[in-house]
Amino acid sequence: MAPVSISNVRKRYGSAEVIHGVSVDINDGEFVILVGPSGCGKSTLLRMVAGLEEISSGDVRIGGRVVNDKPPKDRDIAMVFQNYALYPHMTVYDNMSFSLRLKGRPASEIDTKVKRAAAILDLEKLLNRYPRQLSGGQRQRVAMGRAIVRDPQVFLFDEPLSNLDAKLRVQMRVEIKELHQRLKTTTIYVTHDQIEAMTMADKIVVMHDGVVEQIGAPLELYDRPANRFVAGFIGSPAMNFIDGQVSVVNGQPVVKTHDGIALPVSIAPAQLRDEQRIVYGIRPEHITLGGGGHTANVSVIEPTGSETQAFMKLGTNPLVGVFRERFSVHPGERLDIRLDPEKAHLFDKDTGQRLA
Amino acid sequence: MRANSVGWLLLTPTLPILFVFGVIPFLYVLVIGFMNWNSFAANPDMQFAWAENFRRLVFDDQFLYSLWLTLKFAFFAVLSEIVLGYFLAQLFMKDFPGKGFFRTIHTLPLVIAPIAVGATWRLLTVPGLGPLPYYLNRWLGYEFNISRYIDQAFFTTVVMDVWHWTPLVTLTLLAALSSLPKEPFEQAQIDGANRFQIFWHITLPLLKPAILATVFIRMMDALRTVDEVWMLTGGGPGAATRYIGLHIWRVVFPKTDYGYGSAMSLITLYLTIVMCWMLYAGLVARRDLKRAE
Ligand SMILES: Nc1ncnc2c1ncn2[C@@H]1O[C@H](COP(=O)(O)OP(=O)(O)O)[C@@H](O)[C@H]1O
Ligand SMILES: [Mg+2]
Repeated sequence: MAPVSISNVRKRYGSAEVIHGVSVDINDGEFVILVGPSGCGKSTLLRMVAGLEEISSGDVRIGGRVVNDKPPKDRDIAMVFQNYALYPHMTVYDNMSFSLRLKGRPASEIDTKVKRAAAILDLEKLLNRYPRQLSGGQRQRVAMGRAIVRDPQVFLFDEPLSNLDAKLRVQMRVEIKELHQRLKTTTIYVTHDQIEAMTMADKIVVMHDGVVEQIGAPLELYDRPANRFVAGFIGSPAMNFIDGQVSVVNGQPVVKTHDGIALPVSIAPAQLRDEQRIVYGIRPEHITLGGGGHTANVSVIEPTGSETQAFMKLGTNPLVGVFRERFSVHPGERLDIRLDPEKAHLFDKDTGQRLA
Repeated sequence: MRANSVGWLLLTPTLPILFVFGVIPFLYVLVIGFMNWNSFAANPDMQFAWAENFRRLVFDDQFLYSLWLTLKFAFFAVLSEIVLGYFLAQLFMKDFPGKGFFRTIHTLPLVIAPIAVGATWRLLTVPGLGPLPYYLNRWLGYEFNISRYIDQAFFTTVVMDVWHWTPLVTLTLLAALSSLPKEPFEQAQIDGANRFQIFWHITLPLLKPAILATVFIRMMDALRTVDEVWMLTGGGPGAATRYIGLHIWRVVFPKTDYGYGSAMSLITLYLTIVMCWMLYAGLVARRDLKRAE
């Protein structure tokens, strides 16, 4: 186990820079998730930590030592790839024991370690199979087993669950988290799925177009997204955004939409300028039924049993609400809703940065 | 079942052709192999001779020597082609300036007819005329004369075969290499393997089917080499490069011993099949056996 520190790392392919100076500090034993849309540079960053990709500038430290120029084999890391990268010509046992055999460990030690990892991952019956004889979930487990056997300083995962079906994904999510609680190995985990990030991480790094947008605990990101991108990326269904202008009425600021609807906010007036152009954000779950002075037109209702999702129009602005109640409103009918001013987020229209 | 009958239907035009040009001549050779038939013999007619031809073969020093030479030739040629072809394929996996040009140039020998290859090498090496003996002598003081020295003649035929056929090996291995997944190689680096260990534990096993297929093709081809060697050395000096194909040709045509020649062909075919089977069993089946345990 070791802390990992990524400081001001850049990656250029020829003249195109795809990572623009990323810094992340990862504590010993922490489970950190890099999350962001496809193509934002998560894999590239992870591969630079692994040593599979050269670092154009900046430093990567593992356990306090700069590893920029060390090949992967000298970094004491284990990695699980999206498509598992099992050795197709080796049995599960041989796949798992490969790294130990390379190190020339005694056969008895190898056997103990492989058997123990197999027991943790429920692979004991599959040890003599070849990868092609395994299901996707089993292959995934073997890839994890191969990492565990190593007992490395750092685990690296690159979208390990994205080739699994939804149900298995949820199950493996729990298993990986349990595994981390048991082994307490520093882990960097890449995913494009914000739900995975929210449920598994100690700390989330949100990336976008090769830069870090925000670093924080899952609920910190949910409660106080630093900018519009993070606000829209974290949370499902995504936050509603409505363009508007600040207008101070009786010393109390409200947000006026272009079609004249006033949205209440609870931010101190000192932090807002009159007529400032802003983006008002509210999460679907912070819209409640009744008694709030707003009326929306319902276009679609989606009951899921545990909750009801409503796609509405507030004036001309589309709005999604998630309600705990079950109710029957027909499309086209009107719904009284309340937008919780305490839960509203305001972002600068031009910079996208959070206000206050 | 339907798909099956469609398959047969599509094959129908090919089957008679295959039968006429493949099966009938083979059966003919098979029959003649058991006959005594030599148009210059006292009795030029075909007579049934049981396994007499095959019995003669076993004690025929010339045949056995020729067979041994052929095996030696095939071994050196195919081994060098595989090793060289592998390195060239690895080279062509990398990017370097002029790669496309080199790759094209390097495959040119493949399109040259064997007889022309033989003629070219003959012109290169013929004593007293060829540039190779001339410059070897002039620059290195090395006496190079394939009409005189047995080993030189032998290795020149090997080099010629390597020159002619390495590109085929390069191309098949290049195709195989570029179709390999790249993740196991990255995983192996992470697992702590050095370059040689990656080659030995990952590249080689993953390439094995392609290497094996190439060895089969090249082996079978090398075992029946005739025209190139015939042009280059004519089988000489003495019988130093009289490979089995040349030997059979001498027996069947100038000596017109058809029965005996057929028997030789059959034994050679049989040995080729056995050798390929042993290669296959040794390299592929071992894993299946291990899995069955
Ligand atoms: N070998 C490469 N050459 C050029 N550009 C690359 C290369 N690999 C990745 N990229 C670019 O780098 C960016 C980040 O890629 P990647 O790290 O794979 O994204 P992610 O894993 O977040 O989906 C992408 O825009 C991709 O096109
Ligand atoms: Mg990726």
